[in-house]
Amino acid sequence: MNYVRPKATRLFSAAAAVAAALVLAGCAPASPAPESGSEAGTPVTGGTLVYASGDAEPTCLDPHVGGNYPQALVASQYLETLYTKDASGQLIPWLAEDSTVSEDGLLRTLKIREGISFTDGTALDAAAVKANFEHLLDPETASSTGFLALGKIASMKVVNTTTLELTLSTPDSSLLESFSMPWVAIESPTALKRSQEDNCAAPVGTGPFKVESWKKQDAVNLVRNADYVQPVATEGHDGAAYLDAITWRFIPEAATRYAALQSGEVQIIDNAQPDTIAAAAKTQTIKHLDAPRPGASNRIELNSSKAPFNDASVREAFIHAVNVDASIDSLFFGTAPRSYSPLSSAEPLAYSAESLFAYDPAKASELLDAAGWSERDAEGYRVKDGTRLTLTFPVSTSQSIPAEQSLFEQLQATAKESGFDVKIKLLDLSSWYGELFKNDYNLVSAPYTKVGPSVLSVLFHSDSTIPAPSGYFANLSQVKDPSLDALLDTAGSTKDEAERKDLYSQAQKKVLEGYYLLPLYDQQNHFLYSEKLRNVGATTAVATPTFFDSWLAN
Amino acid sequence: MSTSTISRQRLAPILGRTARWVLGKLGGGIFVLWAVATAIFFGIRMIPGDPAEAIMGGPGSQASAEALAAARAEYGLDQPLYVQYFSQLWRLATGDMGTSYSLKTPVAEVLGELIPPTLVLAVLALVVAWALALVLAVLSTRSGAVGTAIASGLEIVSAAVPHFWLASVLIMLFATALGWLPPVSTSTPAGLVLPVITLALPLAGFLGQVMRDTMARAQRSAFALSARARGESEIGVLLRHSLRHAALPGIALSGWAFGSLLSGAVVVESIFARPGLGRSLLSAVTARDIPLVTGVALISAAAYVVIMALSDIAERLADPRIQAS
Repeated sequence: MNYVRPKATRLFSAAAAVAAALVLAGCAPASPAPESGSEAGTPVTGGTLVYASGDAEPTCLDPHVGGNYPQALVASQYLETLYTKDASGQLIPWLAEDSTVSEDGLLRTLKIREGISFTDGTALDAAAVKANFEHLLDPETASSTGFLALGKIASMKVVNTTTLELTLSTPDSSLLESFSMPWVAIESPTALKRSQEDNCAAPVGTGPFKVESWKKQDAVNLVRNADYVQPVATEGHDGAAYLDAITWRFIPEAATRYAALQSGEVQIIDNAQPDTIAAAAKTQTIKHLDAPRPGASNRIELNSSKAPFNDASVREAFIHAVNVDASIDSLFFGTAPRSYSPLSSAEPLAYSAESLFAYDPAKASELLDAAGWSERDAEGYRVKDGTRLTLTFPVSTSQSIPAEQSLFEQLQATAKESGFDVKIKLLDLSSWYGELFKNDYNLVSAPYTKVGPSVLSVLFHSDSTIPAPSGYFANLSQVKDPSLDALLDTAGSTKDEAERKDLYSQAQKKVLEGYYLLPLYDQQNHFLYSEKLRNVGATTAVATPTFFDSWLAN
Repeated sequence: MSTSTISRQRLAPILGRTARWVLGKLGGGIFVLWAVATAIFFGIRMIPGDPAEAIMGGPGSQASAEALAAARAEYGLDQPLYVQYFSQLWRLATGDMGTSYSLKTPVAEVLGELIPPTLVLAVLALVVAWALALVLAVLSTRSGAVGTAIASGLEIVSAAVPHFWLASVLIMLFATALGWLPPVSTSTPAGLVLPVITLALPLAGFLGQVMRDTMARAQRSAFALSARARGESEIGVLLRHSLRHAALPGIALSGWAFGSLLSGAVVVESIFARPGLGRSLLSAVTARDIPLVTGVALISAAAYVVIMALSDIAERLADPRIQAS
């Protein structure tokens, strides 16, 4: 009956109490759950699950190196994290047992769980965790996601085998959320001492599966960790995983991936596209898992650093000029509920403001007239002082799925009725980053996955308008508002959960009411799987599925 | 005038001609490889973005300044462009293709793994295309105007079909609807069937068209007439005399055909999720993995040069008239 694997039980009340103190209780999101009802049957041990990923094959299986979502997907099978989220979306300790923070927020003490071993026999202890953090912070590792998550750690001290003290440069209210991300997963310190090449080929963790081999461009072969012990007892089963092995394949073509699922060649596919999800809904044999990613919602950012969007009323006019709902309905077949928040619905602290985003061409027209864009040229576009109301919109073809690209084209069409000339440029990832770096955009859509509301600081703090050495910057609406910075800074360092919630809500209200962004929907993360694969639905804190409790029916 | 009595004087000019031919081919081949290496070296630098970023995990990496600087120094990207260009040429000339930015393994090693599956795919597709084209040419020539019209229609359609469309239709038909064949490449021979057919059909269309034209012309020619006069059966004339003629343009086209198979492999390997040169070229370009892109392009160009030379030789063997001219 329990089709979602809860990672914590009510028995584990001590941990739950700590978690409740750390995370605001009571507003957990609906956790990812299969669309089907109960799955009857007795679990069967054995069998090989074939997983087909549509993502680019990772170049390294250790998510410490670089740190992207495809790495997180596969690594969630063999690596585990210090913290995780349970079925209700509550942050709970996992490889960690407990954590406390000093009054000034600068000393974080981590208690590491005892009796857990990595699959190479090395024991998990405080020194192992320290070795992992050092590995992440070492420039040689070239970690980007994990490196940013640990950026506030100034020094570390192993107090005893189970206690690690972290001294922070500034208080960090999102540190435990960071610890729940697979990019900061804990690996065997013995294995980390190998060369990066060896570690990339077969990272060693504590998870229910382990990497057996990796044939590039073909498959990563994972086998069951026979000695697996769940750090926290769950309502699922004990001991090792049901599945003997997982074959992790890479099938880049969406249509081929779905055909492989239909023909039984594979049992689960990721990056399922809206049309195939709709098609699968009509079958009895294929089921759907919708697991929106945490962090930011998918949204269009309005570049406020230059004309015409340096004028707030033009931003507001654009938002009322585009008919988002109608387009999403027709292009996503009901698979993508509309968002009105900068944060994903998977974030307990998401704040929505639906009333700001109504499609209202009359209001758009009024605002544009008042802003001086009252004349129209021969083609019907608005003009001011001889300049056309043109918006450049670089779109990354690797980050925006075809349905999203079509959505942008439909928004372009409705914006034209109000006199906006939206110029969509479809670009490869390198060229797309090039346009952003040159500030050659008025509109842009970029995903951002991170656990917790601190993603708001990444996206909207004025510090994030300063490019990294590579030219990358995350504040693409280029909001520079000292009062917003202050809200985000205080929220990021407070120990008071109620205050944190209030400050992050205020910050979200501010960016929404400033019309810096147009929220679209959650970051889409759809899986389709064969009905023969049972007990699918458990995910990590970043919404990557885990298959500890899954089994293959005969 | 038997060939067994070739004298010294007659052999020398033939050897000289052969040597000149070999040297010409070799020089042409080296020129092609140099041109490819140069075009790629400068072409890939026109794409915006920093190659050091590609080393540090691809576009949009949040690598630190120190990490980027270290990567630039390690891969020589801090040198002036002309220094990079000439040292790149020198390395390539000495057989060192460098280390892949994204895979962090030597390009030669990566290519060693990727060439066999692509070669198997391309060679099988070439063989199947040849077989289909010949069968179609023989059958249609035998069956008169209606047969010719049908065959010609089939050839035009299959030659015009894009690979990705054909692949999708074949998957829908044979994998999804009928369930006979796997939609993705597997280790079993069954997994090769759809990719090979996808590559072979358009090529068979091209080859079939030229072969049938030549065969029809040969059937009407004087030597066919004299063979018939000698009492040779109609099928005998076709197989023993006209077929050889029909094969000539096919052989000449095979060099070009092999090139088209390599470019087709980019699409087919991606759709059927097959490991190989084509698929890795696509991911290498996306990741701006300059050494790997260069490696794949050079290997493809080298294969093209070799196949062109081979088809030249085959053409000479099949048609003694070429030697004489």
